[in-house]
Amino acid sequence: MTQKKNNSNLAQEFMIEEYTVEEEPFYVPVTDEVEMFEAAYKQRIPVLLKGPTGCGKTRFVEHMAWRLGRPLTKIKTTKANADQGSALPLITIACHEDLTASDLVGRYLLEGEETKWIDGPLTRAVRHGAICYLDEVVEARKDTTVLIHPLTDHRRLLPIEKRGQVVQADDNFLLCMSYNPGYQSALKDLKHSTRQRFVALEFDYPDQDSESKVIAHESGVDKAMAESLARLGEKVRNLKDHGLQEGASTRLLIYAGKLIKYGIPPRRACQSAVVWGVTDDQEVQKSITEVIMSIFE
Amino acid sequence: MKEEIKDIELELSKFPSSVLDEFKTAVNNISSIIEEPYFSSWARQGVQIAQKTVRSWEAAAEYYKASSDVSKFISGADLLHWGQCGLNLCDQSPGLAVSFFKSSTGSRLQNLNSKKMSDWAELGSRLYKGTWKSSALASKFFESSGSILEDLTDTELREFGDFVELISRKSIDVATECLILSKDVLPSIDSNRSDFIKMVSSVAENNWREVKSCFEYAPRFIQSFEQSQRGRFINLSASIAKNNLPNLSLFLNETSRSLSGLDENYQSKFLDLAEQLLPISSEAVFAFLQNAPQLVNQITINQIEVWFNRGIELLNNNVEGGLAFFKIESTTSERVIDELSSSVELEKVQGVLRIYCRALAGADIEIGNSAELVAKNIGWVSANYATTEGNVVYLPHISDYYDNKDLNFGLFKVISTHQVARIEFGSFEFDFEQESSNFIDSRLQRETEAIEQHKSHVEIDLVDESQETSAPNVEKSHVTDMGRYFNLFPNRKLALDLFTVVEDGRLDYVIRNKYPGLAGLYKRVQQDSMEDRPDIEEMPLQEAMVEFLVRFSLQQFQGLPCPTAYIEEAKLLLQIFNKVLTEDTTVEDSAEATLRIYDLIADFPNTELPEEDWSEIDTEIEEEMSNEEMENLLQQMTANSSPDFGDLGESQDYESPPQVDFRGDFKPELSQLLEKMKLNQTDSQSSMGEGIEITEEMLQQMLADSAELELDAESGQFDEELSNFIQNLMKESQAPQNDQQKEGYAPIPHQDDEGESLTVQEEKSYVYDEWDFRAVDYRPRWCLVKEKPMTEGDTEFYQQTVSDYRQLMNQIKRQFEMLMPEVYRKIKHLPDGDDFDLDAVIESIIDKWAGESPSDKVHWRRNKIERDVSVAFLLDMSASTAEAIDESRKNPDDWDAPDDPVEYMVWLRARRGAENKRSYKRIIDLEKESIVLLINALETIGDRYGIYGFSGYGRENVEYYVIKDLEEQFNERIKRRIDKVSPLHATRMGPAIRHAVSKLAKQDSRTKVLFLISDGRPQDRGYSREGVEKEYAVHDTRMALIEARHKGITPFCLTVDKSGHDYLKTMCQDMGYEILDDISSLPTRLPTLYRKLTF
Repeated sequence: MTQKKNNSNLAQEFMIEEYTVEEEPFYVPVTDEVEMFEAAYKQRIPVLLKGPTGCGKTRFVEHMAWRLGRPLTKIKTTKANADQGSALPLITIACHEDLTASDLVGRYLLEGEETKWIDGPLTRAVRHGAICYLDEVVEARKDTTVLIHPLTDHRRLLPIEKRGQVVQADDNFLLCMSYNPGYQSALKDLKHSTRQRFVALEFDYPDQDSESKVIAHESGVDKAMAESLARLGEKVRNLKDHGLQEGASTRLLIYAGKLIKYGIPPRRACQSAVVWGVTDDQEVQKSITEVIMSIFE
Repeated sequence: MKEEIKDIELELSKFPSSVLDEFKTAVNNISSIIEEPYFSSWARQGVQIAQKTVRSWEAAAEYYKASSDVSKFISGADLLHWGQCGLNLCDQSPGLAVSFFKSSTGSRLQNLNSKKMSDWAELGSRLYKGTWKSSALASKFFESSGSILEDLTDTELREFGDFVELISRKSIDVATECLILSKDVLPSIDSNRSDFIKMVSSVAENNWREVKSCFEYAPRFIQSFEQSQRGRFINLSASIAKNNLPNLSLFLNETSRSLSGLDENYQSKFLDLAEQLLPISSEAVFAFLQNAPQLVNQITINQIEVWFNRGIELLNNNVEGGLAFFKIESTTSERVIDELSSSVELEKVQGVLRIYCRALAGADIEIGNSAELVAKNIGWVSANYATTEGNVVYLPHISDYYDNKDLNFGLFKVISTHQVARIEFGSFEFDFEQESSNFIDSRLQRETEAIEQHKSHVEIDLVDESQETSAPNVEKSHVTDMGRYFNLFPNRKLALDLFTVVEDGRLDYVIRNKYPGLAGLYKRVQQDSMEDRPDIEEMPLQEAMVEFLVRFSLQQFQGLPCPTAYIEEAKLLLQIFNKVLTEDTTVEDSAEATLRIYDLIADFPNTELPEEDWSEIDTEIEEEMSNEEMENLLQQMTANSSPDFGDLGESQDYESPPQVDFRGDFKPELSQLLEKMKLNQTDSQSSMGEGIEITEEMLQQMLADSAELELDAESGQFDEELSNFIQNLMKESQAPQNDQQKEGYAPIPHQDDEGESLTVQEEKSYVYDEWDFRAVDYRPRWCLVKEKPMTEGDTEFYQQTVSDYRQLMNQIKRQFEMLMPEVYRKIKHLPDGDDFDLDAVIESIIDKWAGESPSDKVHWRRNKIERDVSVAFLLDMSASTAEAIDESRKNPDDWDAPDDPVEYMVWLRARRGAENKRSYKRIIDLEKESIVLLINALETIGDRYGIYGFSGYGRENVEYYVIKDLEEQFNERIKRRIDKVSPLHATRMGPAIRHAVSKLAKQDSRTKVLFLISDGRPQDRGYSREGVEKEYAVHDTRMALIEARHKGITPFCLTVDKSGHDYLKTMCQDMGYEILDDISSLPTRLPTLYRKLTF
């Protein structure tokens, strides 16, 4: 009985996100990042996305997966191919400090009286030809980041030590990871041997115009409100390094917008979405509240 | 009759001739005034006096001498009575009688009834105690009181006499001095004399030394009070004197000074309250009255009572606490005032505003007090107005316009938003050649025209030198774009005013649009500032039109008064102004608008208009003009000569209307100049001087022209002031130089223990509260900690220690290293973990097959406990650490350093001198050695650690030496700094601990430890109550340690003071501490303790 319970627990642990993006994710390009990513993908060069939290890195990858998958679906719309999933799958792995190599590659599970090998998400991505997106890769343990080295150069191989195998990556496979240089401390920095295997795309929060478009689209507030929120975002970001470690992310502003859309008064919405979101320092909180009071009625 | 006189003359001739002479003169004068029988009695009396004793003839002579005068004013009977009084005095001492008669002049005695006269004489006689001194005093009494007899009533005289007698018993000298002073003092205090005399009497009884100063201060403190309150104050002082308050004269002086500026209501209120307080504590009364000005400044009269009652409550429960409360030296007291007060002090909100302004501007804005800028003397003169020069937003020190705290803070916000808007919306980024967005640009064209006009004028000048050039001097060199722009205007003052109105109007508009949340408050402030505006209709035309624009910029759209004849012009002005009030305008738009407005207004005569020539217009703009329409209309209007009013009198010189309070000062030209100078400075420093060098001549020229400086050209000090400005400007523009850290021992600035909170004045100094355990409250901002890096010596000490202790060091290292593997140990038999533990799995499967219930603990995991420790070591560098370790130690509790700073320096030098000859090992050397050993151990395990030393002298001089900061990596310099650790002054532990705690609190380590190494109890000048209670220091230190604990820091005290048990028990109660019996074991013990503490 315990065995069974164990199994079900284990099976859940190894569930992975594996999906193709079917609808176009909303994304407003800031510069030429879309072209850059396309070019990199065509050459199968791994991509590193740098940028502060909540500025749209994940959304960008989703958008690119959709975008790069789209021509495939359009060209090969024959029934035979459609079954195989012509769109480009996107596998997102959120990295955390306990992420081990076996979490990525796979491991043996006990099934009945036997052991059974289960592929980890990275192996699956390699086999199926997906974009594998390692989110917040610095959080992962050093030994896991080394694992991806053979995948990211000309070899495009994933060694599976436990089985004594090497998997050759599918043609469509691309490794992509994100990295937030904001938390720069000596401990949590990428090793150069790792980071120099990627082309890097630098992200920042969009300018006020684009950001207000994004906010309006995502949260559904009207243009004026979206502009105010974007203005607030800019003001709060001015405080980066003057009391704030990170400015207010677009994501937070969208949350604020959503609360407002739902009927929460703007000042209150911003207070809970932005002020309390970005800092615990009371004085800074008070100052940001004053900025909010100035911007919103 | 004649015979009688003859008889008397015969009698008198026995005495020295002066008696007879005086008698003869007197007879001549008096005989006609005084009738018989008085006359002969009078003459006889003189003989009686003369015959009384051996030396009484002198008195007789004086008697006759004075009689001539006295007899003119008093009746014969009184005259006799007077003589009788003198005669009686002769019984005691003829000298007394002499001064009695001498002091008697007719005018003084005029209104004296016989009783008062005998009283007077008697009082004098009472003072005479038979000694030479007392007789001098009595004479003095007659002399002094004689002159004031008239002013004093019977009772007053009696009281005064009693007082003099009383004080004479204590000290005749003081009594004499009082008598001398009383001549002026008593008449001056008029109606409160009796009270005053009662007061000084009680002073005399309790503390006679103060009496003289009471007399000295009397006229002054009487002046300080309203008539009605004088008596009360004197009575209060009398009661205080009875309560034995030391330093009564100080009380009189200080309280009268602090109450002097207040009106009657306030004085009466304060005295009411003081009377209530009196039965509880006179010291508190003193403190309370002393703080009157501060209280009045911050809270209303009713709120003072609320505050006061809180103090009474506290005082009843805890005298020390109550006292600190009334002295406003406790946090509670400040908090209550703050809660009650409606005003908002800049100091309190500076932090919030700074971040607010930074957020808005997106630049490194600092917030300053306007007074600071004024003090720099670089052109800004008003400390009451907000302003900015582009980097710092200067605000007035207090906001108290409204009687509501929120509104006052709101006002601060509006003011600072307006100043920040100058930065955010580019008021200082004016570029002469930059295009505006809403106007047809005309600056360049105008400049060219002006230059040509000027040239032609110069030619005319050659012909006719007397003709003045009225065209603006455009060829003048310009330093800034702003200056170049203002060169376009002949009347720079008017131009600056107009530009200010337009630009401020633009900013207000932008702010209200971009920050709708602030708009409500903004509107209110605008409306309120409207109330302070002068009456337009009473202003001369030009000024009225400027004021008209100010009102418009403050959003007064209805019923603006406007000269009827100029309505069309006014409407055009508004059209022009309105073009600035759209979104996305720039400072260049304001500049263009100003040019056009100036064209119109400069042509107006600046004359006053009669009332009937005004009508009110609405300024709502119905239809906007296109640029072309506007230019055309403008040309038409400026071409037409202004409407004719006939004789309207002289056109007056243009004066600026008062500025709008909340907008503060605007000095675009100066700000641009300053910015430019700073740029040049940095350019030249990096030797890439691209910008044109600004010479002093250029500055002089520019500043002389600028309308922004309020220099008085008339005063003749113009040049001097100007060169002052230039000097200051140059200084200001220089990049702040890195202050060289002062090495060695600078003389210690002295500050009293009594006194106020300290403020941070230099960099790297920090203020901390101090805990007063008697008052059960913090003394706010009491100690000033000055952080400085330890000076560097050489590394010899370090090397020496390393080789001396090689063996011990290796041992410690090993101990520490052995701890390391634990960090990475695998933990097995877990229900959940990184991976399966194969052994456990097999076991479990076997169990299962064997029919037993299998264990589900089949995983292993790495021990996640990573070492994450930050530790701060605080070394006691007090003078006592200079003691030898083997010497039988003196009682270490004796802080035998003198309290006086001057003596202290001498003492210190002597001590140091002795030290230089030492060959023994001191406590501090052991402390240093231990630190060296510990550093080695700590480097092995990689903990984050800081090493600090502290000492100091007095609360304003807590020195905090950084030997190694927490973030610093270990290096050669640190080895060298250790060398320089040496005994300095005292040990004020509290603030040092607080500072170390604030450093540790910034670390995000899981374990934080504060390690205090000392050699005795905390002590310092003024680190006690009343200089005796050593507990004070211990309790403050204890509080600092508790604060540390609240911040998640583990404090630990290690002391080498054998007698430490008594106070450490109080100081560290439930916290860790250890007392080393054997001091020399410190180097071994310290690392061990540390290890135990952090694992």
